[in-house]
Parts: sequence; structure tokens; C-alpha cells
Amino acid sequence: MTTILRTDKLRVEFRSRDVGQTTKVALRGLDLEVRAGEVFGFLGPNGAGKTTTMNVLLGFVPPTRGAAYLFDIDVRQPIARQRIGYLPELTYYYKFLTAEELLRFYAKIFGLPRPVANRRIPELLKLVELETAARRPIKTYSKGMQQRVGLAQALINDPDLLILDEPTSGLDPLGRMKVREIIQRLKNEGKTVFFSSHELGEVESVCDRVAIIHQGELKALGRVADITGSHANLEKAFLDIIGYSSQPAS
Amino acid sequence: MLPPRTLWLLLLALLVAGFGLAAQLDPQFQTWRGSRTGGDFFKVMLGDSRSMFANSFYVKADEYYHSGYYPTIFDDNAAFQTAHMAADTGAVSTKNHGDEHGFLGPTRNWIDAFGRNFFPDRHTHLDQGGADDLGGSENVREILPWLKLSADLDPDNVQTYTVTAYWLRERMNNVPEADALLHEGIRNCPDSYDIFFELGRLYYEAYHDRQRARNVWLEGVRLWLRLDPAVPRGKLSATQLIAGWVDRPTNLSPVQADNQLVMEELTTHLAKLDEDEGNLPEAIEWLEAAQKVSETPQVLQLEIGRLRYQLGVEFIPVLKPLY
Amino acid sequence: MKNISAVAGIVIKELYRRKDFYALFIVTVVICGMMAMINIYNDANIVRYLKEICLDLIWIASLVIAITTTARQIPAERDNRTLLPLLAKPLTRTQLILGKFLGCWLACGLALLCFYLFFGALAASREHHWPVLNYLQAGLMHWFLLGIIVAFALLGSLIFAAPSSNATICFVLVGGILFVGRNLDRVALTLREPTRAIVNALYYALPHLEFYDLRDLVVHNWPLVAWKYIILALLYAAFYMAVFLIGACLVFRRKAVN
Repeated sequence: MTTILRTDKLRVEFRSRDVGQTTKVALRGLDLEVRAGEVFGFLGPNGAGKTTTMNVLLGFVPPTRGAAYLFDIDVRQPIARQRIGYLPELTYYYKFLTAEELLRFYAKIFGLPRPVANRRIPELLKLVELETAARRPIKTYSKGMQQRVGLAQALINDPDLLILDEPTSGLDPLGRMKVREIIQRLKNEGKTVFFSSHELGEVESVCDRVAIIHQGELKALGRVADITGSHANLEKAFLDIIGYSSQPAS
Repeated sequence: MLPPRTLWLLLLALLVAGFGLAAQLDPQFQTWRGSRTGGDFFKVMLGDSRSMFANSFYVKADEYYHSGYYPTIFDDNAAFQTAHMAADTGAVSTKNHGDEHGFLGPTRNWIDAFGRNFFPDRHTHLDQGGADDLGGSENVREILPWLKLSADLDPDNVQTYTVTAYWLRERMNNVPEADALLHEGIRNCPDSYDIFFELGRLYYEAYHDRQRARNVWLEGVRLWLRLDPAVPRGKLSATQLIAGWVDRPTNLSPVQADNQLVMEELTTHLAKLDEDEGNLPEAIEWLEAAQKVSETPQVLQLEIGRLRYQLGVEFIPVLKPLY
Repeated sequence: MKNISAVAGIVIKELYRRKDFYALFIVTVVICGMMAMINIYNDANIVRYLKEICLDLIWIASLVIAITTTARQIPAERDNRTLLPLLAKPLTRTQLILGKFLGCWLACGLALLCFYLFFGALAASREHHWPVLNYLQAGLMHWFLLGIIVAFALLGSLIFAAPSSNATICFVLVGGILFVGRNLDRVALTLREPTRAIVNALYYALPHLEFYDLRDLVVHNWPLVAWKYIILALLYAAFYMAVFLIGACLVFRRKAVN
């Protein structure tokens, strides 16, 4: 099976500018592989290094040591991002643009021909249920609508790999269900989805494989069923893996 | 929390108290020496700095007179001590010296040399067409807004009235406005001989009213002579004053010394009036007065000689008249 | 190039959807209208003071638009978190900087076009002639001046902490160069070493923005500047734009975006 996403002993350090402060190590030699066509969950407690990993994959942060690859292209090359879609955790877009204008802008950056963009944009707006609001400025949108715009812009180039950072954060149950449906649909189309989430119940239901990192180190990697193992559910397995032991209240 | 009715009554009581206090204090406010309610807009807003602004707008008018080719504080402005728009009226003593064409000096470096291509580079006067040579001498109208603003800001600056009136009359042929402006100048500066001279020129050259011109010029002479504290006060006329002044040795006060040109103009113009009316002895007397303040008394002496010849008092070669 | 033009298009859309330009244009029109109604000795043909006031207002408005629009570009992208989804696309940081520059510069050009059309109409209403080439020269030089300022403000937005401090520094610097730049070498002569050497170095190093101020020539109807000097000035401007843009690209490459 083709490897879509790969990190090779990825190490990221942040040097503090304050005098006397030490270097903070965000990732310690992370080795990760995501195969084509799978839905991959990336889990960890707050500060584990999930966002740093995504920032490296998207070219925002350079690795201190090691490397990361998308479609076998080093992530430092802009062309590596030609076939990916990214949905950030906090979705903010140009308030003065309409949803349609935003999608057209991103389509132009991806180099989509105008006829293709003209066909794709209405399809996406329909998928995320924003057809009626397409010509309104984004500043008039609710949080949920902005999240859906974010999803639409992540799909504008019909990506082979979708990177989602907390895709259901801030959504109501209906919104979360719609996101799960979209992820499932993408999987059925053979796309690869790489996402981080704190909603372990969701992860359990949609993911093929998961990775759990803690304090910058990979603690577990494998199929959901294998990681859950003898634990009652993924949540309990997660807590055990990161070393959390619950004390009965005295 | 008080009930709404009580709040409304309280508000009403406060309004009544405020109104009563204002009525009580108003008479005292009106008599307050620092009150600005009677002042004009510029006086209230700018205070004493308005004369500084007025002067900068006066200079701006001269800059317009030169179509923008004007020295900055960094350049040699020796040739621009007296505004050229004023000097060209022929009634202002000029302190200018040096090169008015090359105040920028030689180019200092390549940046300076290159930069000179992008701003005015030639000395011109608007009354001779200016930079574009399109509109002829009426282009001088462009200095008027700045002169008007200068006059509004500093009503005590005499030159603003005389310069503006001259160009209004001479180039724009706008005599009524010039007349009104000079009368306004007299209201604001009642002791200004410059304004009286300019008014006299207006009456003589525009209205061809010799009598009014004479009256006004005589008043100008009287005001100029009275700059000298030694000149007797009282109800002596200008003619009486000038007779006594001519006979005395020349002893100008400092202010008179700075304003000799206007006296020369007043007296030579009065001489011309008398000569035109055939009053040659009076004309000679005016020319003798002019000699006392002129920088070229020998030229005036030739004129005196010519008039004396006409009177039959002297034999002199025939000369071309001064006018 | 498509990426650069895409980013530029967004900047231009932002300008005409914000109120800044319209407010400044209306203020300019209103003030010029009021000035035109003043009675100056019943002479309706006086025009140069009006041209100067109008051009001064245009210059102030254009500087405000150029500096404030540019100073907030990158900080607003960062603060509004629109930078991350943008850089997650196949768009390099250099393309983003160039796109922002081009957008701001073109937006300033469009604003200038509107302002100068109004100026031309105002002047023609009294002068009854329209020196199109003179206005073209003045507008072109003005636009390139704004290009230098936009490039500098873009670099400043990556160095200074806040858009307000960047804008203040830009205004002070631009104002200082326009008023004193031409004579900075003469100012240096009045100083002692080593200040003299520093000021002299600044004289040669700083862009001489006063080259691009053709207001006096336009107001007083001077003939056209020789085109060879205009072209040299435009090349001089292009040089400084390139210097500031290269600096901005180098700084932005090293900057954390999250």
C-alpha cells in the first residue's frame, strides 16, 4: 500500500528567547506512516505535540532534525501541498469575502481551471449546506457556518490527503454527524484522512488506525481494536497509555 | 433605586438650577476682560500666533508670484528679503541683494543635480506670464487667495492691502474690489501713508479723479511727516507742514528712514498733479521735498531745472520730462 | 504569477469593501468644494490655490491609504488566523509577500486614478484646458512613490510589533524625507563628527521621495519634465522597492506563523 504521509525521526525544538530558559523539545524523533485510503486518528493530551506535527507537515515550522514527507515530497517544498486539504482547528477566513469568493480564491491558488472551479464550487457549497449563504460576507456567518466554509475550502482541490485539526471542535451534535459523514464519504472515494481529535468516541467509530503521542514521543500506533485491546474502550486505553492512573475519591 | 417620577423631578430641578446660575453669572462674564465672545474667529482660535500664520501666507503669495520657484529655509534668500510681488508695485523699499536666479547655488552632488529636474527651476514673475506663458499678465490673480487669507489673519499688516490692491487694479482691472480693500485697510490701519498713496494712485489712474487723489496723497504726506516727533502737531495742512519741513535740514526719524520711497512717490505724484494743472511753483516745492528722501536727487534736480525753465526763472537745455 | 495575482486580488477587494477610501474621497471632494465656493475679490478664474489644496489632500489621503492598508496586511492575516490556511496551500512565503505588495500597490493606483480624475475635473472647470500628459507624469511618479512606501511598510509590518507603531514610523519617516530629505547633506554640514558622517550616509542611503513630488510643477503649469528623467526616477523607485521587498521576503522566511 502506498505511503501518503511519512515522518522520519522527526525532532522539533523551540529555543526560548528569554535568558536562562532552556530549549523546549516538542517532538522527539517521531516516526509515523499513513497509508493511502485510510482514516488515521492522531491522538494525544494537550501539549503532546499534535499541532507541532501538523505544523511541520504543512510547512509552517521547519524540523530541527529528521524529515517529513507528503506523497514522497519533502514538506518544505510548496508542491508537496498541491494535493492536500487542510482544515485548521480555529476557522477564520477573510470576513469581507463571500464563501464563493473565498473558494474561488483558493481554487486559483491551486491552479484549478476556471470551468473546473465553476463546477466544483457549487458542488462543495451544496455538500456543506451553504448554497443559500454563498453570496453573504463571511463576517455574517455563525461559528458552525464558518466551520463548514473551512471544510469546503479544504476540499476545493479534490485533495488526496485531508489534514483536519479538531474538525468537530465547537460543532453541535448535528454538525459533528455531518463531519463524520463527510469523512466516511471521502474514505469511500479512496481519499486519505489524517485528523486529530479529542472526541475519542468519534475516533473509535471512523478511524482505521490511530497513533497516540505524549510529551513528543509516539506511545502507540496501530488499529483501533489492537490499541483498545483488553480495555473497555479507546478512552480507557488512551489514559492507560499516557500513564494516567485514576485514584478513587477518598 | 428612586422611582421614575422622582428622577424626572430631580432632573427638572437641576435644569432650573443650572439656568438660574447661568443667568446670574452672565453679566459678570460679559464684563470679564478675558472674554473672547466679541473676538473674530481667527483671533479666538489662533491668538497672537495669527500674525505668524499671516506672514507665512504672505510669503506663500510671493512663492505663487514666482510659480513655485522660491528659496526654502536652507537656500540663500538674500534676494527675497522683500517680496518681489511688493517690490514690483513700485512703492516698497527693497532690501534684496544677491542672485535671485541662482539662489540654489551650484549642484552639490548627483542627487541634488538629479532632483532639480523635478521642481521649478527658473525665476519668473506671474505678471509677466509665469512658467507657462499662457495667460499673460492676468496670471497674477493666483496670488490673491493667499493675500486675502493673510489680510484676514493680520488686519494690521499694511503691505497686504497695498500689494493686493495694486495687482487688483493694475492687472485684473478690478478697481471696485481694490477700492473696497483699501478702505478696509484704512479702517484697520488709519495711520498708514502707504495705503493712502495706493488709494491716491487708484483715484488718479483708474478713476482719473485728480481732486480725490490729491486729497488722499496730502493725507499720506501729513501722516508720513508726523512720524517725526519734531514735526508740529495741530491742524496744520500737509502743504504747510511740507513747507516747514523742506526748509529744515534733513533729519529723518528711524521709521521715516526705512520708508523714504513712499514719501518720494507721494511728493513726485503731487508734483505731477500740480504740473498738469499748471501750478509750477507748487510742483517745484514738491520735487524739492522729494529730493530730501530720494536716492537719486540729481535726477529730480534736472526735473526742477526743467520746471524752472518753463517758469522762465532759469535757462536749461530741453530735457525729456520725468513722466 | 497566478498565486501572486490571486493574493493581490484579495487585497484590492479589501480596499474597495472597506470604508477608508470612500471616506477620504468624500472628505477631499467636500473640502475642495468648500474652498471653490470662497469669494476671492469676485474673481471666478483663480484656480491654483484650489489645485494645491486638492493635491495636498490627495497626497495626505494616498499616504493614509497606502500606509494603513499595507501595515495591517500581514499582522491581520496572523491575528485573524487566515495565514495558516493560506500557507497550507501551494503558496510560498515569497509569493505571499509579493502578492500583498502588488495588491496594495495596485489598490493605491486605483485610488490615485479616482483622485486624479477628480482633480483634473476640478482644475478644468476653471482653467478650461486639460494638460493630460502633465497629470499623467505627476500621477505616475506619485504611484511609484507609493510603491516605495508600500514596500517599506510591508517590511515594517514584519519587523515592528504592532500595525500602529509601523504606521507611525512610516508616516514620520515619509514626512521627514519629503520635507528635509533634499537638504539632509546641508544639515550634515552643521553637525559634528560622527553625527555628520551618519547623516551624510543617510542622505545617500535613504530613498529620495521628494523626486516624486511634482505638485509645484502641476499647480503652476510648468512644462513637462523630460521623459528620460522620469524613467530614471521610476527605475530608482523600482530599485528601492526591490530592496525593501527582498528584505521583507528574507525576514518573513524566518518568522514563525503560528
